[in-house]
Amino acid sequence: MIRSCGNTAKTLMVALLMSVFYFPGDCIAAEKVKLPERHEYTNVIMISLDILRSDHLGAYGYKRETTPQIDKLARQSVLFENSIAHSYLTPVAQMSVITGQYPRRHGMVSFEVTRDQVAKRTLPEILKYYGYQTAAVASSPEFFMRYDTESGKIVNPKDIFSQGFDFYGRTMPDDTGSARVNPVAALEWLKANKEKKFFLWVETGMLHPPYSQTVPAPYKTRFDPPEYTPFYEKFPIKPGLKNVDRGVPTEALFHVYRDKYYLDFEPVYTLEQKDIDFIKGRYDAALYYTDMFIGELLKELDALNLSGKTLVVFHSIHGEGLGEHGYYFHHDVFDTEVKTALMFRFPGNEKGGVRVSHQTQGIDILPTILDYLQIPADHEAQGASMMPLINGDDKKYEGSEYAFIDRLPWWEHVLGGWHLEHQSEREAQYTPLEIKKMKAYQVLLQSKIGGNKYPPECIAVRTNKWKLILRQRNLLLEDISWWNFISGVKYPVAGLELFDLINDPMEQKNVANEHPDVVEKLKVKLLEWDAANNKNRGEFKPVSRPSLIIPYP
Amino acid sequence: MSQNESQNQQVVELIGRREFIKKSAVGAGVLAATMAMPGFMFSEADAAQLKTKFKDYNVVFVSFDALQAAHVGALGYKKGITPTIDAMAQKGYNFTNNISVAPWTVPASMTWFTGVYPSEHRLLNKFSVYNPPNNNVLSNLKKLSPELVTLAEVLKQNGYATGGFTGNAGVNGIFGYSQGFDEYYSEKGKFGSMGVSIPKGLDWLKKNKDKKFFMFLHGYDMHGQFVPEEGFDYRFVDKGYDKKYTGSAKEQEALREEGLANGTVKLRDEDVKFWRAIYDEKIQKTDAKFKEFLKEMEKMGLMDKTIFVLTSDHGTEFHEHKRFDHGFSLYDELIHVPLIIKLPKQKSGKVVKDQVSSVDIMPTVLDLLDVKMPSNAAKQLRGTSLVPALKGKPVAEDVFFETNYRQYTYKRGIRTKDGWKLVYTLEDKSRELYNLTNDPKETKNLVDREPRRAYELEQRIFAHFKSIGHDLNAQQWITGLNPVYDSQAKGAQNK
Repeated sequence: MIRSCGNTAKTLMVALLMSVFYFPGDCIAAEKVKLPERHEYTNVIMISLDILRSDHLGAYGYKRETTPQIDKLARQSVLFENSIAHSYLTPVAQMSVITGQYPRRHGMVSFEVTRDQVAKRTLPEILKYYGYQTAAVASSPEFFMRYDTESGKIVNPKDIFSQGFDFYGRTMPDDTGSARVNPVAALEWLKANKEKKFFLWVETGMLHPPYSQTVPAPYKTRFDPPEYTPFYEKFPIKPGLKNVDRGVPTEALFHVYRDKYYLDFEPVYTLEQKDIDFIKGRYDAALYYTDMFIGELLKELDALNLSGKTLVVFHSIHGEGLGEHGYYFHHDVFDTEVKTALMFRFPGNEKGGVRVSHQTQGIDILPTILDYLQIPADHEAQGASMMPLINGDDKKYEGSEYAFIDRLPWWEHVLGGWHLEHQSEREAQYTPLEIKKMKAYQVLLQSKIGGNKYPPECIAVRTNKWKLILRQRNLLLEDISWWNFISGVKYPVAGLELFDLINDPMEQKNVANEHPDVVEKLKVKLLEWDAANNKNRGEFKPVSRPSLIIPYP
Repeated sequence: MSQNESQNQQVVELIGRREFIKKSAVGAGVLAATMAMPGFMFSEADAAQLKTKFKDYNVVFVSFDALQAAHVGALGYKKGITPTIDAMAQKGYNFTNNISVAPWTVPASMTWFTGVYPSEHRLLNKFSVYNPPNNNVLSNLKKLSPELVTLAEVLKQNGYATGGFTGNAGVNGIFGYSQGFDEYYSEKGKFGSMGVSIPKGLDWLKKNKDKKFFMFLHGYDMHGQFVPEEGFDYRFVDKGYDKKYTGSAKEQEALREEGLANGTVKLRDEDVKFWRAIYDEKIQKTDAKFKEFLKEMEKMGLMDKTIFVLTSDHGTEFHEHKRFDHGFSLYDELIHVPLIIKLPKQKSGKVVKDQVSSVDIMPTVLDLLDVKMPSNAAKQLRGTSLVPALKGKPVAEDVFFETNYRQYTYKRGIRTKDGWKLVYTLEDKSRELYNLTNDPKETKNLVDREPRRAYELEQRIFAHFKSIGHDLNAQQWITGLNPVYDSQAKGAQNK
């Protein structure tokens, strides 16, 4: 920063007197009259949407009008077209955003970690050093629910993510029993704290399966195909399910693979286009309803006269597979899951409308916010400020030319920990055969990936042109794949995949054999990164069995 | 004062701002001189005429191993136990805020001779590989940092006779301390005395006094592991002391190890007083030995041809922070050490209060001797020459220090010129922040009260080490407790 030297007579007098008694430094008087730094007067709001696919936003080219409010925000913002999350799993990816560290460094590598294992130097923590009031309202249970699996009680409502927050708010479950509703309490907090210099984190899990569960009528059915009856109601998991629309049930999604709906390990139905339209329509309905809330939040900022001095960072924590790879959910390193939306709306809409196509990573977000606020970068952060990209000075961007993605933890590990145990809570009832087989699956998982280690490695490296995925234990993955299990078919899992993201953005065709030179080059980069970041790789300290988070209630 | 003010105001009108600040610096010097402000006692005339190039003069570099700044008369100690050192400080430049880069001998001393930080010369522990019983490798400069050129090597290349006369142990030639010396003596098998190294040095001087020479003189006479051959006479010990301790090397070692094992040592106030009294006796006796050395130099007619550098590698702890001995912490009692530079024929003393670092000593010596680093090591030196300070120019700087003591702990620190200090412990990320102006004894950790300052100083530490090629985040800091003394090797192996 250029520090301007004052030039009033009074300042000179001060300088004169000071120089008599002190060694004259460079611009002593200027130290006294320097311009305030941005962190002295700029608020920050971070809006995090879990499960948001950037390509379902109008601003990122989606055809259906799902997000008029976010699109408006995008026009006022600098938009990043290729921002990559480091994991498919919410707390893992988000911890990278607020620490600037790859998951292996920040330590939030599974649901079972304890507070002491995870980095504490988070964005709110740093902003507190600089006098910010810090507040959060989160709606994804991943961020506030810790659960004693034995007693079935919430034992500690404050999660690891509350670190650094003066106020850590959460949503409460609605009539459907889910807390994944719009975090409207954020509006109240804003009104009550508008005079303060603040950092506000607004997080919503509205988009999470069951798709549209908490969306009220009439928005819930907004995009439903006409005259449509959901396929899963014709083949219910739970016989005699009450006729209440709780969105597209997670259980139903977990029984769909490659357009076939399985019950009792038999394909009982093949999904038609209208079924797929319905599933995506329900996802979009949740997005539409979320967008309304974002609009309200931004309107409130305007009404409180805060927009001119508030940096708004909007991003998705990770994406969602919507059938492109056979499944509906998020558990892998494909772009469907890791390509995220990211926008920075600067005070006064500075640089509004700029679109950055350069690839960036989740770990770059914290350094960028600090850089903008004129706060020194944190040495623990591994990302780099994106301000040069924002300013069109790409050469000065010090971030990696590659994005690195970790399938950490293995989703099968997460699944083994909770899926079967908690079915009753979601009122899903399975046939005796399902229950028997799922117990066997759980035993299989424990025997194959038991202990305190995740099997290495499942990692990926990405540029805007290529994605290389390395699954060193692909045969094991094949053995324990939930989708293979549910379908009874051993679909192969490739050990190495290369995708041409320009011609095949949905990563359908493995072109590793056609481009051995590209594979070799990217593999070297990936393994270099892997070796340089080997802490917390696939390992976690055992914790006493209680205090698991239930990730998907 | 008012006259000066109006003069300066006129100046302001005539010149630009930046120029003004430069000019007022000179004005400040004049004013300060007339006001006789301590630490700034130069007139412009003095500064301009001062000779600061001493081409082909001799250098005697003395390390009084383990001399805590607080026990030196020239640095304010009242007992008058260092008359010889004090006299030299009075004639020469007395740097009253000189901070060592490390709190123990092996890493600290090599910085004088390489002009780089311990992380860079890599002499961080006795062993560079410690993997008992058979895979231990002693640290050695040539093996660890073959590209580094030592002060003795540079001077030798420039025609100097080079001789080192030491008390062995941490500055043993085996670590590479002898690199560049024609002759390098270490008193075998012990923490040796100046009582031995001085006569050895004088013998060598007699042979080399007609050449230009660089001499390193060192002894452990003040060190905890040293006991005078004739024993202690307990001259400063209170008569009523119950003699729980006798001042032996074994007691000192036991106290240190107890502190390492438990985090604190239990000592009564009278014990601490006793240990300080023993220390004073050792210091006084060392000072007397050094006096004899100077007498011999005088006899040889070398005093007017020789630049003296007197310093210490580190201080020592007397329970100020509930532990004993040195190496494992970075408090001021360990890193604040004397630095006295006396120029040939210099008669009137100057006090330099600006904070400086032991990494500045090598560039200062070369600057004084008008010797350049060889081209293959032109960018080696990290410090800056302190010669401008001799001319009254400000040299105050923020300084850095570190320890990996026996892999027991890994600490890095910064001490700013405006009186703040942050120590960062790598293995547990704990931090200590002190306001040295208000709390010179470092008793109140202000990390929680000054989180922003702590954060920013932490960034400075990491940026500093990154700038010298050491990304502190790139490695894991796993603690152990490796031996430094042979007596510990067996026990440590059992761990």
